[in-house]
Amino acid sequence: MHSTDLRRGLERREARLAWWLVTPAVGTILLVALFPLAWTLWESVHLHDLRMPWLGRPFVGAGNYAEALGDPRFWSALGHTGFFTGISVTIELGLGLVLALAMNRATRGRTLIRAAVLVPWAIPTVVSALLWRFMFDDQAGIVNVVLGTIGLTHEAIVWFIRPDLAWVPVIVSDVWKTTPFVALLLLAGLQNIDAGLYEAARIDGASTWQQFRHVTLPLLKPALLVALVFRTLDSFRVFDLIYVLTGGGPGTSTEPIALYTFNSLLQNLRFGYGSALSVITFGVSFVLAATYLRLLGRDLTEAKS
Amino acid sequence: MLAASCGQAPPSGATVVTFPGSMLGGEGAVLRAQLQRFMREHPNIRVVQRDTPDAADQRHQLYVQWLNAEASEPDILQLDAIWTPEFAAAGWILPLERFNPDTNAFFPVTIEANRWQRRLFAIPWFADVGMLYWRTDLMPRAPTSLGELEQEAARAKARGLRFGLVWSGARYEGLVTVFLEYLGAYGGQILEGGKVVVSSPAGLQALTTMQDEIYRSGIVPSSVLTWHEEETRFAFQNGDAAFMRNWPYPYPIMGDGAVSRVAGRFAVAPMPAASNGAPTAALGGAQLAINARSENPAAAWAVVDYLTRPEQMLERARVTGQFPTRRALYDDPALAKSLSVPVAQAREIIEHAVPRPVTPVYTELSEILQVQLHRVLTRQIDPARGLARAAAEMQALLNRAGLGPGTPLAQH
Amino acid sequence: MRGRKWTGADVVIAVLLLGSAFPFYWAIVSSLTPEARLFQKPSLLPTSLVLDHYRTLFAERGFWVPIRNSLIVAGTTTVFCVVVGAFCAYALARLRFRGKAPLLALILTVSMFPQIAIISPLYLVLRSLRLINTYPGLILPYLTFATPLTVWLLVGFFRQLPVELEEAAMVDGAGRLRTFWEIVIPVALPGLAATAILTFLYCWNEFLFALSFTLGPERQTVPVAIALFRGRYQVPWGQILAAAIVATAPVAALVLLFQRRIVQGLTAGAVKG
Repeated sequence: MHSTDLRRGLERREARLAWWLVTPAVGTILLVALFPLAWTLWESVHLHDLRMPWLGRPFVGAGNYAEALGDPRFWSALGHTGFFTGISVTIELGLGLVLALAMNRATRGRTLIRAAVLVPWAIPTVVSALLWRFMFDDQAGIVNVVLGTIGLTHEAIVWFIRPDLAWVPVIVSDVWKTTPFVALLLLAGLQNIDAGLYEAARIDGASTWQQFRHVTLPLLKPALLVALVFRTLDSFRVFDLIYVLTGGGPGTSTEPIALYTFNSLLQNLRFGYGSALSVITFGVSFVLAATYLRLLGRDLTEAKS
Repeated sequence: MLAASCGQAPPSGATVVTFPGSMLGGEGAVLRAQLQRFMREHPNIRVVQRDTPDAADQRHQLYVQWLNAEASEPDILQLDAIWTPEFAAAGWILPLERFNPDTNAFFPVTIEANRWQRRLFAIPWFADVGMLYWRTDLMPRAPTSLGELEQEAARAKARGLRFGLVWSGARYEGLVTVFLEYLGAYGGQILEGGKVVVSSPAGLQALTTMQDEIYRSGIVPSSVLTWHEEETRFAFQNGDAAFMRNWPYPYPIMGDGAVSRVAGRFAVAPMPAASNGAPTAALGGAQLAINARSENPAAAWAVVDYLTRPEQMLERARVTGQFPTRRALYDDPALAKSLSVPVAQAREIIEHAVPRPVTPVYTELSEILQVQLHRVLTRQIDPARGLARAAAEMQALLNRAGLGPGTPLAQH
Repeated sequence: MRGRKWTGADVVIAVLLLGSAFPFYWAIVSSLTPEARLFQKPSLLPTSLVLDHYRTLFAERGFWVPIRNSLIVAGTTTVFCVVVGAFCAYALARLRFRGKAPLLALILTVSMFPQIAIISPLYLVLRSLRLINTYPGLILPYLTFATPLTVWLLVGFFRQLPVELEEAAMVDGAGRLRTFWEIVIPVALPGLAATAILTFLYCWNEFLFALSFTLGPERQTVPVAIALFRGRYQVPWGQILAAAIVATAPVAALVLLFQRRIVQGLTAGAVKG
């Protein structure tokens, strides 16, 4: 009896201490992240145009949301975002896997490899975007020179004025910057796989490809899913890259949802409408995250068993 | 010269006023000189210049960003002709009655364009007006009607000239200013009170005329639909066109025999009237306003007042060729020596100037109108339907903004 | 080493190294190329190298100012977040209490926020507090994403520490807090350092908030200043690339020095979490 009381007392003290330690961080998060999110929700059901103060801030219910759903530019932006996410994540996961497999085999030059992986990831996206903007420039850019030299093109392509081609520098830049990081994540997953399993498979007569399919892939699934979740959510909120590389152009043909929201808010000063767009963006990414986490959770428990 | 506007301690007692403006070429030079003189005469006020982009929409975006953030700087703003009602209605610039500006000294149209709800919000600094350039070696006098213009243009084409008439028809604000002049020729308007009236018979006639000039009589080449002011200028400057509609800036350039093939062989006149209308010139130019949150409005006003005095306007005209907005100056022989455009012609054109609709949502209205005008001119839609669609969208916008007919704010 | 045939893996690694390095090489070379030659047909090997762009960058554009701004904002945010985050992370990693799982979930969720979702209220609040274009006006929003990130990374690091050390201390009679301060922190210093660096990097690289909440060169951070470089007649690529190199060099140096720790932190949090 006495020892249980003691234990419970200790537990309560520990819990109290825990809450003291946790409060500053959580308080900050509540204040600077969750409270504003609630406010965004509130703004989204009001009309709030900062250019037209005489209209006041009337409650409009679902008015902004209805406008968004009927706004072709909104749907285009969502489509652009989906397109970008789909393509870049696929390429990054695929290339990242290849890279990770190669890095797993590498025995020398580990430092150099790590540097090559980390530096592109660590620099500001703005800088990376500017580097690629320069390389894809139609006059001063090296890409056109290379393409011309190897004979793929006859004249300089003006990448940024063609709605279809403007995506190429965007995707190339994103892949360059983040594939190495994906490779890192997958490498960690690869290194967690017990070498003995490969040994056993080899003894059983499995080829390299079969080893890959039956040992590597299944055990790599958790890492793949983590990479998938992070990359998808990151790509979904893409802003810096496109703002600097194409500005959403030509016209609005590369404008993702984050940039359209930004323009509505800080260019057109339509805070009510922009807030509705923000909420929709948040909602979609939340649903995506929740879906993935459920898949992830399920797969993790499956993998463990 | 990127001057940081804070972190520099002014001499004791001095008020610091920030002035964003172009630092380029002649404009930058004359501005700097005038501000230096001002600071000598007012030792307790320091004016710090801030570099802003020259492109109008970039400057507009920057202003919107600053003013919306309720920044107290810059104190003075250089506004394009169409921004005053927008900034005034948003409460971003100061009404100027408290400073008793001498409004009668300026051309009435320039003052009216800067009023919102009957109060004055900016002082006109220099004026830009759309005008008709015509070849003096191809005809004895400027055409007095739109019909005569078209006849002369056709005749010139028949005699071998590449183009009869050129104007800037790309999908941008410039297209609206051109359209405005044709509209005025037929006695039409874009906006009346809070009602969009651009799809009136006059509007239809104006737009059909523009379309016919390209596709029926062929006096206007279809390439104008991708041209801005510069391409239009090149066409006339190389001697390929009998008529050009453009702003004043090409005048001195084309007078230079070294670069121009038409030096000494052209003159200007207002775009002529057709039926029921009047010769019309779209009004552009710059005005000076004071940030509503400025901490030194009196000092800011001193600068604005100084820059808009006759002597400064004359100096500016001499260096940059920009038209002053004070009426009396046009009787002054000094102006005749400064302007490359003959003074009498300049005054006549300014007196026929018409502002674009004075409404806070002009930029959005213009977007809508530009799209439909361009669609009509590229024959994607016929004039009646195009104008009707534009009018409907524009009216919907005005209504949504509480600026429709019958609302108190519609009575500009 | 015996020369051996290049395997597929070697080829891939070579492509990685080349592909990673080439844009930097090209940017460095171009930033040292005189303006006139920049717009001519580019060649892979430089012919003339000048320091003009770097000189103009600092002398005329005053590039020190954005660097100073970035250092102040990123530095302050990092310090605050690491301190506050360390306490929170220790509690989450070692202490038992109800609500731990939901808290972790909350922190993870917030770190996945699209930042655009809270721009409008942040802007309105900062504006009414007259904090637009000020240092606090940037540091406060930065805490949104920096705090969850720091906590997440530190939880990963703390969990990796051997429990025996703390248990030994507590058996000896030390309280939780003392254990934390005297035993855990010194051992976790490498992890703290790595977390600080990663947090600093995130703040240094941040663009959206800096773009929205600053108005001019006095308070703009490095990414915003570079993105908004304007030239008179054409894009000043020489200066932009010079600025990019200047912005990248310290980042690259930090990363290279602490690469092992950084990788540890990133993968520990991600894979094991």
